Amino acid sequence: MKSLLTTLALTTALTLPGLAQARPVTLTTTLSGYGGDGAYLVLYVTDARGAYAGTLWMAGDKSKYYQSLGDWYRATGGNPAQINGITGASVGAGQSLKITLDLADALFDAGYVLHIDAAVEEMRDSPNEIALPLTSAGAGKPVRGRRYIANFRYDM
Amino acid sequence: MKKTLTALAILAAIPAGMALADDDCKVPLDEWQPKEAVSRLAAENGWTLRKVKVDDGCYEVKAQTREGRRIEAKINPKTLQVIEIDDEDDDDAGRGKRDPAPVGSVAPPANGLFGTGAPPKIQVN
Repeated sequence: MKSLLTTLALTTALTLPGLAQARPVTLTTTLSGYGGDGAYLVLYVTDARGAYAGTLWMAGDKSKYYQSLGDWYRATGGNPAQINGITGASVGAGQSLKITLDLADALFDAGYVLHIDAAVEEMRDSPNEIALPLTSAGAGKPVRGRRYIANFRYDM
Repeated sequence: MKKTLTALAILAAIPAGMALADDDCKVPLDEWQPKEAVSRLAAENGWTLRKVKVDDGCYEVKAQTREGRRIEAKINPKTLQVIEIDDEDDDDAGRGKRDPAPVGSVAPPANGLFGTGAPPKIQVN
């Protein structure tokens, strides 16, 4: 696992050169009224080759549940270093999570894809519920999720 | 998402006559014992109750043990049999997994995604 994380770190460093320029981006995830406990959501990015590039936000603070966020967990091993300082509470059914951050310019129109894995206690896991290419043209256009996410959009 | 707690120490503290059984409770409403009975059961087990609710036809309690562990227990509403106990504290902690640092407590990871290194701002409606 350690070697995998080292590889991930090196890959990230090699594939995200010079991401100094940034722009404010708002990521809005609105959950459906699925009628269960709060959802764990993780928002992360893969590069043009499909390799994990990094995490933007983890909604849910108990590491014991992270295995339910299957694709993210496989990419990271659940390493808390991937989400230290970017972790908050889970999100209730019907609620809307709005994340505002300065996102590196080079992520747009370069093959990067934003993913969301979702999970709810006692309900079916939903990895890769959202997979949305980061493009300038895609901003402001909501997309539907499959199970727990009513819609997701990013604005800049 | 639940992991069943296998801590024998906690199960050993449960009074005699209680054993593991099927997951869901199928008890007619008129046969349910009141919440006060659940409170008494918790006191007998040395649990400090935090919450009692109904889930899957069973009582579900969140409590803290004498040893300070946070647990969630599923209880048959008729017999007050403890069906399942989950450890709410991180089961992985003993294997080196820890909960992550919350937002604002440390800087975001230097993964190249955060242009300025500033932490995200969060709003939940």
